[in-house]
Amino acid sequence: MSSTEQGTSSAAPAEPTTAPESAAAPEVPESFYYVHGKDKVVHKVSAGALQHSALIHGMISNLGYTEEQAKANPFPFENIDGDILQMVVDWCNQHKGKPTPPEDTNLPKQKEKLFDLVLAVNYLEIKELLTYCCKQVAMMVKGKSPEEIREIWMIPTDAEDEAAEKEAKKRAGKEAAGETAAAAGDAK
Amino acid sequence: MTGKSSTDPIYDTNWPDMPPEIKLKCIRKLKFRDRLSLRCTAKAERSLVDSQKIDFTKGMFWGTDKFLGLMLYRDNHFDVGKCSADIKEEPFKLMNYIKKVGVFENLQFTCGSSFTDNQQFVTDIELFTARQIEFDVYNNANVVALLRKMKDGIESIKIDFHIEMEYSLDEILAVSHVQNVPYWHIKDYNETDSLRKVAQMWIDKNSEVGCTFQVSIEEKDGSFEVFLEHFTDRIVSKNEKRVRIHTNHPDRHILLERGLNDYVEDDDFPQFFRLLVIPTGMKESEYDENCKEWICKIDPEYYDDHDSESSFEEHDDEDDDVDFR
Repeated sequence: MSSTEQGTSSAAPAEPTTAPESAAAPEVPESFYYVHGKDKVVHKVSAGALQHSALIHGMISNLGYTEEQAKANPFPFENIDGDILQMVVDWCNQHKGKPTPPEDTNLPKQKEKLFDLVLAVNYLEIKELLTYCCKQVAMMVKGKSPEEIREIWMIPTDAEDEAAEKEAKKRAGKEAAGETAAAAGDAK
Repeated sequence: MTGKSSTDPIYDTNWPDMPPEIKLKCIRKLKFRDRLSLRCTAKAERSLVDSQKIDFTKGMFWGTDKFLGLMLYRDNHFDVGKCSADIKEEPFKLMNYIKKVGVFENLQFTCGSSFTDNQQFVTDIELFTARQIEFDVYNNANVVALLRKMKDGIESIKIDFHIEMEYSLDEILAVSHVQNVPYWHIKDYNETDSLRKVAQMWIDKNSEVGCTFQVSIEEKDGSFEVFLEHFTDRIVSKNEKRVRIHTNHPDRHILLERGLNDYVEDDDFPQFFRLLVIPTGMKESEYDENCKEWICKIDPEYYDDHDSESSFEEHDDEDDDVDFR
């Protein structure tokens, strides 16, 4: 598992604590990198675990960081909530260097968390985990009627969609009119 | 994930927040019946669902003049089934949708006059996409109508006739899918003209090496003789089991084989025949002496020791009704 420490929102990332990676240490010392999400909590993750993420793997390859540089410059993922990033890091660690199983029972069952996880995993380009997540999303509506699906996935009806669209257009029109008036005032 | 200012996460993300490419990935994981439900929720979801093809390992359509039914399998598991006594509109509406999105490994039709009598089926321009198709039908018009509702790319056509019914082979041979398919067979044919007509069609269409046709004749003797007589001036070699003729293409011959061995004897019925387009250079020593294998392909139950167990699991008695609007 990764070691994590509550960080602050200051520019300098908090020093992560290090815990033994596993009982059987590899012969060649492993490289570690650091990531943090919106909550600034820094996660120390091995290069092996990060291989799952095509995005991070690409960043590592391109930057060519030394361990010190990596420590001083955690990869920031400000668009990912801290606990979602924690889930991703945990999954990467659990599946480090292992063939991924056909099912994954450790995925969150709460639908809102699952959707956030899907977005994060898609952003981080973790193909296998995305496949599991999408399967889990599909399972949420297994055997459900259209009305039940609409409720579970909060799908607006066509009427609600149209109303929202009208409202958005109205708002945009008002904003545009306001900008024009302001511009005319400036010109005077 | 977007637009939240607090570090305390508020999970308000849901399906509508997903980008279309993620939605499509999830839709691919949905069972067909759930896709049908999702497409009923809103216009946007409908167009997304309808943009996705769906692979079926097997599709079965059956019907009489009283009812129509279908069963669909994905990854060899039962996915959805529907049986309807309304043979006028609803099942055809669903069938036409399946034609639009379904990609079938194996497609089976067992039916009476139910398809050709339906205006919606006849006029709909969508076509089925399938690698293998099987027919167990009681009239010629259904075979021809269904064959014409198929896209190109069929690799195998299996037709079961019923000896009490009359069929027109000429109409079937006129369908382009039949002319181009690598393998096809007719089980329980009861005329002597099939070998002659298929070989002539292959000669006229200059068919490729590898094209194969098999037929089992239920009652009438004489198919072999009719073939010999028709192609007398093309014969390259012949014996009691095989006739080889030349075509108009210098590199291609046609080989007719009769299925005879210790188990299937000369005066037995059904009689089994196989026609193949072979390369001119093929030697007699290269002929396939094991007719049991190809006989089993057309009639899996002919040999008692043949394992005819279905690889498809039985589906449970869950409510098969699907929401299709």
